[in-house]
Amino acid sequence: MDPPPNPNPNPTDAEPQAEAGARLAALSLRGGRDLPPDFEIHEHHLDDDDDDDEGYLTAASRGGSSTCAWKGLRDDDRDGDDVSPPSPSSSGYAGERGSSLDDDPDPEPAQDWPRDKKHLDEDDASSSWRKRKKHFFILSNSGKPIYSRYGDEHKLAGFSATLQAIISFVENSGDHIKFVRSGKHQIVFLVKGPIYLVCISCTEESYEGLRGQLELMYGQLLLILTKSVNRCFEKNPKFDMAPLLGGTDAVFLSLIHAFSWNPATFLHAYTCLPLAQSTRQAASAVLQDIADSGVLFALLMCEHKVISLVGAQKATLHPDDILLLANFILSSESFRTSESFSPICLPRYNPMAFLYAYVHFFDEHTYVTLLTTRSDAFYDLKDSRTRIQNVLLKSNVLTEVQRSLHESALHVEDLPIDPSSQSASQPQSSRDMSSQSLSSEMAIGGPAGLWHFIYKSVYLDQYVSSEFPSSISNRKQQKRLYKAYQKFYASMHDKATGPHKTQFRRDEDYVLFCWITQDFELYAAFNPLADKSQAIKMCNRVCQWVRDLENEIFVYGGSALSWQYHHCWEGE
Amino acid sequence: MAATAGGNKIRNAKLVLLGDVGAGKSSLVLRFVKGQFIEFQESTIGAAFFSQTLAVNDETVKFEIWDTAGQERYHSLAPMYYRGAAAAIVVYDITNAASFTRAKKWVQELQAQGNPNTIMALAGNKADLVEARQVPAEEAKAYAQENGLFFMETSAKTAINVNDVFYEIAKKLLQGQQVQNPQGGMVLNQRPPERMVSSSSCCA
Repeated sequence: MDPPPNPNPNPTDAEPQAEAGARLAALSLRGGRDLPPDFEIHEHHLDDDDDDDEGYLTAASRGGSSTCAWKGLRDDDRDGDDVSPPSPSSSGYAGERGSSLDDDPDPEPAQDWPRDKKHLDEDDASSSWRKRKKHFFILSNSGKPIYSRYGDEHKLAGFSATLQAIISFVENSGDHIKFVRSGKHQIVFLVKGPIYLVCISCTEESYEGLRGQLELMYGQLLLILTKSVNRCFEKNPKFDMAPLLGGTDAVFLSLIHAFSWNPATFLHAYTCLPLAQSTRQAASAVLQDIADSGVLFALLMCEHKVISLVGAQKATLHPDDILLLANFILSSESFRTSESFSPICLPRYNPMAFLYAYVHFFDEHTYVTLLTTRSDAFYDLKDSRTRIQNVLLKSNVLTEVQRSLHESALHVEDLPIDPSSQSASQPQSSRDMSSQSLSSEMAIGGPAGLWHFIYKSVYLDQYVSSEFPSSISNRKQQKRLYKAYQKFYASMHDKATGPHKTQFRRDEDYVLFCWITQDFELYAAFNPLADKSQAIKMCNRVCQWVRDLENEIFVYGGSALSWQYHHCWEGE
Repeated sequence: MAATAGGNKIRNAKLVLLGDVGAGKSSLVLRFVKGQFIEFQESTIGAAFFSQTLAVNDETVKFEIWDTAGQERYHSLAPMYYRGAAAAIVVYDITNAASFTRAKKWVQELQAQGNPNTIMALAGNKADLVEARQVPAEEAKAYAQENGLFFMETSAKTAINVNDVFYEIAKKLLQGQQVQNPQGGMVLNQRPPERMVSSSSCCA
């Protein structure tokens, strides 16, 4: 356990960014040699291409006939350099509500985004299609296309057959294909019985990261259809599954979009809306009442954040199921129009069976989901919802939720000064340095150059992340940081070389620091010139801060929750 | 609206909309319930529930409307929604012959599986798109007569005949009840047994 060399021993020296980048250091307290190859080479290309992985910029800059149907504006809204945090309401949904007027002769094309984003006119012969940076495909083991992120599935039959041929060629020799690398491209395969999932990407994401995304795509498919769809293939190997997913393009698109902004997609944890303990307790109490009266799970959520959730005895809800359920609900406009009752499957709970979901939006952001096994429970659940609504109104929960949505976020600038660190015996020079960086970095983040952090509580399966500071204000920068976190996560959890306890990495964009204990995982991003010992100190303070706030930022008493970490679907 | 009409009984009636994807079921309901129209109405997931009251002469009908999803994967769930329905509106798109074929299948299914007392309406939606018409009104009308449905061409977009369909159903419901009542105990809204609610349980 050699102490790692400090890559930048004198951080007060202003040095050119390029030089700092060249001095990239990827370190682990367990020894740098153990690191996966991913982290030993600096393959962080920081050009505009990064943002292009959605393919939107390519399309916009081409501006040809295929792109005139959709508005660049809408694209900006969804994935451009939008300062506002990503949410389903930024995916064209607001436009829809605005235009729901009588006899509007020129409706906003915003409503069309799922189809437009898909670029139905494209196929594998189109150069625009081939230039897209990240493709997702779902196909059957007979090679029939089921889903494609871009282009018309029907026109991609030949391409699907090729993918199927590659998979079965390897399988015929008694092996399984995991991925293929070709130049900048990586093709990742995931076989789930008769259903094949493939990602073709040149976004430099790790194999583990992409495979995790395919797992979630499969989970989303199961949420809509359950695993019993496999039986259709047993009866008829040439079964055409695509029609069964009719009308769900928006669900998959929204999930793919989440891969680049929602840390829950790789942390396998959910996040809560910060609320005063008493407010959350009021919500939890009424949900618990409902759960005791025969509801399997009751979830109160605000966008992707959990306000409260309870489950019936012994029923456990996996964070991935929460993610997929919220994605399904938030990406389907249908749920917002009225009360809905729909069969859905929670793949981690029981991939074979449908549950029935009663969904009701109290306001634009806040909604309750009641899950039951009874198909005739609608009127009971409707009554339960009325009871919940009454309590929420009486105890002001909905108002508090609105307030929290706009105010209660964690800002690194608010990280409290730890009094103990002031009195701690440390070299005078270091203290000076600390105060110096405190003053100079305040403008662009928290103390000691702290820009952002994600803290995951291992036992609670919950995470909390800070708001982005002004230095990471646009979507492109935020996406890049999440990708860096994602890579970091994969390397920390690498089964071959890890798991690691800490990792400190500096490149021209940030200093990234990760610290994993048996209780928590902390991922933090600092200004690229941040001092290492200061950074570590800040991380301690973040942990203390999170612990101080834990009653407001986490949901407790979740005996209903699975406290076990499952990495992927077993038994495939 | 009519809920305040002095001392009238409110009759609850479960109503279900069935039909092919994109026929305009949700649009018809949204037009009727909210007076809205959205050009690119998204696919319904599962089924959406609405309620709306309608005054007919001096009586009031409270519709409990199930707007079902037309997607194939939800077909097997349809009985859950049409079982015990007092009325069903089978919707097709006049510009799409396949949707008319699908509508006939729904009618067959209702005749075979549904409640014989269910009032059935056939709605040829998107009547504003005459130039793209694929299903002649006469053909649909003839089919409706043969099968004892009442038929209207509607447009959720221009609101033509939308309220009328629901009004007609309400009228028929009330007429039907007047005839049936003397014979004793035909409950209009047959919900699942464990939640049997008498149609006269809520007086205004």
